[in-house]
Amino acid sequence: MSIDGATTPDVRAEMLKGAQSLATPAPPSNARGITSDLSVDEALLLHAAGWEPLDLVCGVAVVSVPVGVWNWGRGAISLASDAHDAAVDQAARQLRGECSKVHGHGVVGVRVEVAVRTHHIDVELVGTAVRPMDGKDPRGADAAQAMPFVSDLSARDFTLLQRAGWIPVGLAFGASFVYAPRRTAGAAMKQTTQNVELTNYTQAMYSARESAMEKMQRSALQVGGQGVVEVKVTEGPMSFARHAVGFTAWGTAVRLMADAHQFVRPEVVLPLDDAVVTFEAESLRGGGGGRRR
Amino acid sequence: MRGEPGSGAGATTGGGAASDLPEAAVRRLESTAFSSGLTVPDFAACLDMGLQPVALVQGFCVMQWGWYGPGSGYMRGMSPYSGGEQTPGAYSEIYRCPHGYVSNEHRMWGQNLEQPWVEGAWAQGYGAAYSRMLEEAGTHGAHGVIGVVDRVSNVADTGTTEFHFLGTAVTVEGGPPPAGGVPWSTYLAGQRLTKSIEAGFMPVAVVAALASVRVWAYCMTEYYMEGTMGWGVPGEPRLVEQVSKAHMAVRQLARKHVRQQLAGDELHGATIDVVTRELSQGDEVVDCTLRGNRVRRFKDFDQVVLPRPTVRLA
Amino acid sequence: MTEQTAQSEPQPPQSATGGGAHDLPKDAAHRLEELEHGLFTSDLSVNEFLLVKEAGFHPLGFVMGSSIYHIGIQTRKWGESQELAKLTEAMYTARELAMNRMEEEAEELGADGVVGVRLDVNYYEWGNDSAEFIAFGTAVKAEDGTSYRNALGKPFTSDLSGQDFWTLMQTGHVPQALVMGTCVFHIAHRKLTQALGSMGQNVELPNFTQALYEARELAMTRMQDEAGRLNASGIVGVRLEEKSHQWGSHTIEFLALGTAVTKTSGEVTLPKPTTIISLDN
Repeated sequence: MSIDGATTPDVRAEMLKGAQSLATPAPPSNARGITSDLSVDEALLLHAAGWEPLDLVCGVAVVSVPVGVWNWGRGAISLASDAHDAAVDQAARQLRGECSKVHGHGVVGVRVEVAVRTHHIDVELVGTAVRPMDGKDPRGADAAQAMPFVSDLSARDFTLLQRAGWIPVGLAFGASFVYAPRRTAGAAMKQTTQNVELTNYTQAMYSARESAMEKMQRSALQVGGQGVVEVKVTEGPMSFARHAVGFTAWGTAVRLMADAHQFVRPEVVLPLDDAVVTFEAESLRGGGGGRRR
Repeated sequence: MRGEPGSGAGATTGGGAASDLPEAAVRRLESTAFSSGLTVPDFAACLDMGLQPVALVQGFCVMQWGWYGPGSGYMRGMSPYSGGEQTPGAYSEIYRCPHGYVSNEHRMWGQNLEQPWVEGAWAQGYGAAYSRMLEEAGTHGAHGVIGVVDRVSNVADTGTTEFHFLGTAVTVEGGPPPAGGVPWSTYLAGQRLTKSIEAGFMPVAVVAALASVRVWAYCMTEYYMEGTMGWGVPGEPRLVEQVSKAHMAVRQLARKHVRQQLAGDELHGATIDVVTRELSQGDEVVDCTLRGNRVRRFKDFDQVVLPRPTVRLA
Repeated sequence: MTEQTAQSEPQPPQSATGGGAHDLPKDAAHRLEELEHGLFTSDLSVNEFLLVKEAGFHPLGFVMGSSIYHIGIQTRKWGESQELAKLTEAMYTARELAMNRMEEEAEELGADGVVGVRLDVNYYEWGNDSAEFIAFGTAVKAEDGTSYRNALGKPFTSDLSGQDFWTLMQTGHVPQALVMGTCVFHIAHRKLTQALGSMGQNVELPNFTQALYEARELAMTRMQDEAGRLNASGIVGVRLEEKSHQWGSHTIEFLALGTAVTKTSGEVTLPKPTTIISLDN
């Protein structure tokens, strides 16, 4: 999406004006300069939607994992999930605290970094605190005071959703960790030449995934969400304990604030760039895949 | 492009009178053809804005870490009792052990300590490289430097850090020379710079700061981070308060240092990088670098209309 | 060159638990129940979410199916190019199991279909010769109550993105199912004399060409057969993938994937596109 319509009449004139503004030393200012990690496009879109960025905010938490948790056992590793949830909760709380300090109504564009190590789980959240320029929060006056929303939606997606009548209410997060089940030696031998489903394994992995998703759903309900968008799922064995597998699912919980969903009615365009041609060839060879964002 | 950054490494010759630019730089800048680090679309956007590229400029500096190098008492993990002076105004937080006397190895006392000497040294190196780049631009009569690329890297195991800046010096057609004779600068170039100007933001400078916090772990932190059993360590997950606080503090400090350089202007396109070095026994050092473009509003926002959403048929 | 014509029709999937309707884990049941109470989840991006709404659908929930399958050893002749039928069957069955479970979850939610389906294969160190096959997607339902289930009465599946789904609906077609055909082929190793003979020359390798040609054709034919069984008008978004998985470089799986569609009685509502020249890099 490019910035709409007519380019400002004369960019040269603007540049000249800008340069001249620097030539005269600025009057001393008591303004608390804002810091933001938004790109210019995003800042402009936010303004078009009637919101403004306030400050770059962070939340970090390090939670210890009890000893021996990763030694091979059976079933779910609930202590690890608890540690993970505690870390995310605490980091989100810090983030909201920083947001409130600058009088923000919420944080957008949150970058989520989770590191699971042998003895501790670290969570870092970084985003930009924003507030509506006219002070009117679509969630209602009380909600705005109580709890700033946290969302990993980019400022651009935030603006789009707003226009459609939806607002983010919080980060929905869930994680589960599980041990790979063991096969007895006898069963292992018998299965060598057969193509067969390993039901123990399937059940264990499938359950663990579903459990992470379920926790994510529950956390969405807790912040009053009606839905979760942009769910991302990560999975994989722990680098320090390859018999333990972790699944996380997170996304942004949203709520419909308008009476009904506002349809966007997109316009269809056909770009004439040559870049289009290479995209098609690649998708046939399996390079582009079916998803396009 | 120029050769390896190491070739110009901090070696300053008698060269020009008051400046400390390497002699090769002076020669290169005296030639009349311009080179620039701009791509073709960026170059087109420049001309559109009335900016004329005049030269590719760079600045370079190598700093030695007296405190960090191998063999320094600092890196051997000496306790703060004997080394770290308490700088007034710097962040510091003390943690005391909840147990009674346990043993001689038991760490009864811990501290989170901001390291202003590290921060100052970094600022000095960064600042020196940056001002050398601006100086090169100034010798060509440039008004500003766009498309700045900055790189900070540690030369492995030698306890030194290189700071390297590269940018394209430009003049504004019909524009006044910059205040104080120091060219303005920005990371942006091309279309993104155009949009920033159209939105009413004039770049002033590239701004960055490092905050560094040292964690001297006390007993509880050590147990949590190292996974030691026993002695009142619970069998459930616990927030490691000392380390979490240190991480929060380092990010807050970086923002505070940058804000001091803004003088009321705004910071756009900020990026935060955090490096954690885990030492033994739960100790660690956390360094946070915050960089961005310092910009000044020179006009109010035009009414921006929300763009039309489109679906591409491709 | 042997051709396994007998195996050109893959057998219907046999799950070890006896397959059929209800082999979802307990946690899935809980999660889906929660979704039925009104919360929706989706891995659609905001763009896709808005376009799915434009097409007249609402997301119901993120659905998934998984199966860990042991892929047995199949002996092969070093010097012959042939399809490894047992492996083909295994790869197909494993994916079918995962897709079926995903469809079951969608059915539990009362969905009309699943969009944005992704098929992934994971390998774990502790699982020698086995791999986990996963299918993910977002279940959707038409807001006006019309049923969009496919010819077999099941929720449709498609790997189309939200954007492609909207565009497809505008052309008067609806997705039926994600169809796939697979073929695991072993490529003969060349004899030493053959290799030495052509060293340093620009020459076509007829063995390789023939083998790979056949393998691709097999995969695509099977995919088309599946679409035929659904009485589809055609297949869109066809993708041909080649993977060696864990078998080494002389054994390749060819996977053809696409979405089978049928024409509805609706007219084409896609508006005439505006041509633009994008100035972004």
